[in-house]
Amino acid sequence: ATFGLYFPRKEYSENVYIDQPAGTPLLRIHTLRDSHGEVAHFHLCQNLIISRARSHENHWFQIREKTGLLYLSKSLDREDFNMLSVGNWMPLSKVMLYVFLSSHPFQEKECDSATRTTVFLSLINATAPACSSLTARQLCFTEMDLSFHIKENKPPGTFHQLQLPSVHHLCQNLSISYKLLAAEGMPFRYNENTTGVSVTQRLDREERERYELIAKCTVREGFREMQVEVPFLVNVLDEDDSPPFLPNGTDTADAVVEFNRKEGTVLAVLTVYDADTTPIYPLESSRKKYTGTIITDDPWISETFRVEHIFDEIHFSPNGSQVRGTQHEYKLVLNKSISVTEHRSFQLDVLVNDTEFHGPERSVMLHFNVSILPVSIQFPNMTYQFTVNRNAERFAQIGKICIENCMKFRGVNITYKLLSPNVSCYPVSVLQGREDKWGSLYVNDSSVLRRPECKEIQYTIQATDKQSRKHTKTLLTVVLEGTLLKKEEDCPDSCAVSKHHAECEECGGLGVLTGRCQWRQGSGKGITTNYSTCTPSIKTCPDGTCDVIESKDPAVCPQDCTSGNIIGGHGKGIGNLGIKSGHGICYCFPRQNCYCEKDDIKEQLCDDVCKTVI
Amino acid sequence: LAGPLSPPGQDPHGWRVPVDCVRANELCAAEPSCSSRYRTLRQCLAGRDRNTMLANKECQAALEVLQESPLYDCRCKRGMKKELQCLQIYWSIHLGLTEGEEFYEASPYEPVTSRLSDIFRLASIFSGMDPAANSKSNHCLDAAKACNLNDNCKRLRSGYISTCSREVSPTEHCTRRKCHKALRQFFDRVPSEYTYRLLFCSCKDQACAERRRQTIVPSCSYEDKEKPNCLDLRNTCRTDHLCRSRLADFHTNCQTSFQSLTSCPGDNYQACLGSYAGLIGFDMTPNYVDASTTSITISPWCSCKGSGNMEEECEKFLRDFTENPCLRNAIQAFGNGTDVNLSP
Repeated sequence: ATFGLYFPRKEYSENVYIDQPAGTPLLRIHTLRDSHGEVAHFHLCQNLIISRARSHENHWFQIREKTGLLYLSKSLDREDFNMLSVGNWMPLSKVMLYVFLSSHPFQEKECDSATRTTVFLSLINATAPACSSLTARQLCFTEMDLSFHIKENKPPGTFHQLQLPSVHHLCQNLSISYKLLAAEGMPFRYNENTTGVSVTQRLDREERERYELIAKCTVREGFREMQVEVPFLVNVLDEDDSPPFLPNGTDTADAVVEFNRKEGTVLAVLTVYDADTTPIYPLESSRKKYTGTIITDDPWISETFRVEHIFDEIHFSPNGSQVRGTQHEYKLVLNKSISVTEHRSFQLDVLVNDTEFHGPERSVMLHFNVSILPVSIQFPNMTYQFTVNRNAERFAQIGKICIENCMKFRGVNITYKLLSPNVSCYPVSVLQGREDKWGSLYVNDSSVLRRPECKEIQYTIQATDKQSRKHTKTLLTVVLEGTLLKKEEDCPDSCAVSKHHAECEECGGLGVLTGRCQWRQGSGKGITTNYSTCTPSIKTCPDGTCDVIESKDPAVCPQDCTSGNIIGGHGKGIGNLGIKSGHGICYCFPRQNCYCEKDDIKEQLCDDVCKTVI
Repeated sequence: LAGPLSPPGQDPHGWRVPVDCVRANELCAAEPSCSSRYRTLRQCLAGRDRNTMLANKECQAALEVLQESPLYDCRCKRGMKKELQCLQIYWSIHLGLTEGEEFYEASPYEPVTSRLSDIFRLASIFSGMDPAANSKSNHCLDAAKACNLNDNCKRLRSGYISTCSREVSPTEHCTRRKCHKALRQFFDRVPSEYTYRLLFCSCKDQACAERRRQTIVPSCSYEDKEKPNCLDLRNTCRTDHLCRSRLADFHTNCQTSFQSLTSCPGDNYQACLGSYAGLIGFDMTPNYVDASTTSITISPWCSCKGSGNMEEECEKFLRDFTENPCLRNAIQAFGNGTDVNLSP
C-alpha cells in the first residue's frame, strides 16, 4: 500500500484579483490520515500551469508547510496578469497549481510525490471587490460544490474549514457564522471556533456510503441578516475489507452436456457475492483482482473447459441506506466442441480468490458436477416415405430428413447423403440445411418424373457425424403420383414474374410442386409483410429466409433471395436480401429488378357491347 | 484570422493569432532548428509523462525553443481539409504536456465567433417564415421539409438514414461504424441552419419530440446491447484523436459557467450547439433520452454503474450532459429563435 495521507478533495478553487497585497490568505487545504501519528507536510510545485500546456515559474504563491494555508507571497500587478493570461483562451483566465503532500519534511522541492491535489486560481481582471458589493453566496462559499471523500476504516480528523480565508481577511467587519445542519446522529462535528468540520469516528462504507448534510451560513451586517444554505456531501471510499461469500451457501451446480456440445456453450453458473465494490473500469485490473481457477491436473479437463468471470454491481441495504456491492458470476464454458462418443462424469472444482482481501476467508471453492452423456446418431424407427407429383419442377422442395433430436443439436455436424439406387430413376437430391442439422430433399432432375417406368423409388439415406465419423442409415421411398399436365406455352421459368392471380395459376415455374404456381393473396394494407405475390410454394416462399434450395437458382424465389433493386414501396429483408415487406403486388424478373405496386386494373364486369345487349 | 501563408501575427489585443497545425508544421519543417527540436520533443514525449520528460535537459531545451514556434499555439478548424492530420500534430505535442488524465481538456479547435442570430437570419431568408411565429406547427417536421428542399441536405440525410437502417443479419441490427461515418459527413458538410433545425427543434407534443429523438437513427448510432460505464467510454473516446478533440471542444464550449447570465462560456450558444453536434457519430454520441416535451434530457449511451471509488468523478462527467444548464439554455434558445443580445 502507498503511504496513507490523502486529500479529501480532488480540486480547490479561489479567485485572485489585481494588486491584492502580499500576505493575503487564499485558501486552506486539509488532509486526512491513514494511521495515527502521521503529520502532513505541504509544498507547492515550482511551476504554475497555464492552460494549453504553457507553464510559468511561480513567484506569487506559497503554502504553509504545516497548516496548508495557501497565500500570496507577492502581489500580482497588471503586468503579471497580462503575462499569465497569454495563451489562455478561456473567457476567464485560470492558472493551476499542484499541492504535494508528504509525511516528512520535504528535502528537495520537486514535483514528484504521488499524492497531490490541484488548485485552480481564477485571475479576475479587476481589483478586489468591496465587501459591500459581494452577495451572501459569495461571502460564504466558493463556486465549487462542497463535496468530499473520506476513506473507510481510517482515523478521524478535520477535513474542511467552512470559513473562506480570503473573505475573512478582506471583510473583517462582517460577522459570518456557519452551521452544519442535518448532522444529528452522523459521525461529523462542526467546531464553531475554527469553523472546521471533522469526522469523529472510523467510517464503514458497507454500513453507509453517502452522507448528505447542509452547510448554512449567516451573514450579519448591523441589523441586516442574510442566510445561505448549500448541500454538503461526503462520499465514503471503499477498500477491500470484505471476503467473498455464497448466496444461501450454494456452492454446487450441475452441468450436463448432451445435445448441445458446441464450443462456447455455458453449462452452469455459480454466483459469489462480495460487499465491496468492484470498478468495471479499468476492466482488466478488476479481473485480476478476483480470480477463478479450475483446480485439476487432468490436461483433458483444462483443455475442454474454461471459466468465464463476469461481475455486476448490486445493491443491498444494511440499515435502510443503499450500499453498492458486487455480484460475481462464474460460468463453466465448453472450450471446444465435444465429440458425440464422449461419456464421463466427474466433479470439477473452481477456486475463487479475492486477492486483495487480507484475511483467512479470502477464497471460496465452487463445485460443478459435470456429466457428459453420449448421444446416438440414429434415425427414428421408421422409414421415410414422400410422394412427389409428376408435374413437379426442378428445385421443388419435397421434405426434410432429420436424425433423432437433430433440432436440439448444437456443435454436432451431420452430413446427409443419398446412396444412389441402382436404377435409372433418380429424380431427387439432398442438400444440407442451415447449421448442418437436417437435410432438405428436392427435385434435381424433373425429366425423370415424367418417365412412366419410374413409379416408386427406394433410396438408402445415410447420416454421418463429421467429427466421430459415426453414421446411420435408413430407407427412403419416393412415390411418384399424379397425371402429367400439358405444359403451357410461353410461360416464364419463374413464378415470381406473374403479376396477376389468373396468369399465376395458369403457369408453372422452377420449384413448383404440382406443376402450377400458387398465388398468395395479401391483405392490401399499405406496406406489409403479407403482400400479394406469385410463388412456387406458399409454404416456403416468401418466408423471409433464403434457404439453401432457393439460393441455388435466383429464379426459384426472388422474393426471399433478390439482391437487386426493388422499385415501389418496400422494406428489404435481412442482409439486404429479398422483399421483407411490400406495397400491393410484388413481382420480379430474376437477375433484374423487382417491383411492388398496387394493382389498379379492375376487370370490367360488362363492357359497352354487353350493356347494349341487356 | 491569419491568411493561409502569413506567419502568426498579432491581433489588436496583443494575442498571437493561431495558425492551423498543418500550416505550422510546414513552417516548422522549413526551419532547421525548429524541425530538429520538434523531432526531439516528439521522441521525448513518446510514452512518458511530463515530469520525467522535463527532468531531461535536452527535452527541456527543445520545449523552450518550441514555445516560441507557431506549433505551440496551433489550432485546427472543424471540418477543415486534413482535419485528422491537423489533430494528430496537435496531440503529438499536447498529449505529453497535459498532466496525464485531466477531467477537462482544452479544445484544439479555434474559438467559434459566429452567433445563433446569424443562423436565424439565414434561416428566415430561405424558409420565408419566422421559426417562432407559428405555434401550431411541428418544428421538427418543418425542419425535415426544409432539409428535403435542399439538394445537399437531402442527399446526405437520406444517405445516413439508409446506411443506419440497413439490417445486416438477425443478430447484427446495422453496421454502426458506417452509420457513424455517414452521420459525421452529414453534420460536417451540411450548413448548420439545416442541421440545427433537425437536432434542436422545439416541441409541444410527443410525436414531435419522438421525431426529434429519432433524428440520428438512435437504434443504430446510439443504443447498444449494454451500457458501458461513462469513464470507460470516455477512455475509449480519448484513444481516438477525433473523438478526443470533439469531447474537449464540447467541454470547452458547453461547460457550465457561473460567470455568465446564460451559464455558457462567453454567452455563446452557437459554440455550445456546434460542439454538441460535433460529438455525433463518435463513441460519445449524445442524444435525447426520451420523447418528453417538458424536460430535455441529453446523455451519451453510458451509466455510472460499477464506478467503484470513481463514482463521484463519473457522475460529474455524466452531469455535464444530463444536467447542464448551458446546453439546455442553448437548445431552448435555438428552439425559441432567440439569441443573447450582445451589447457591443
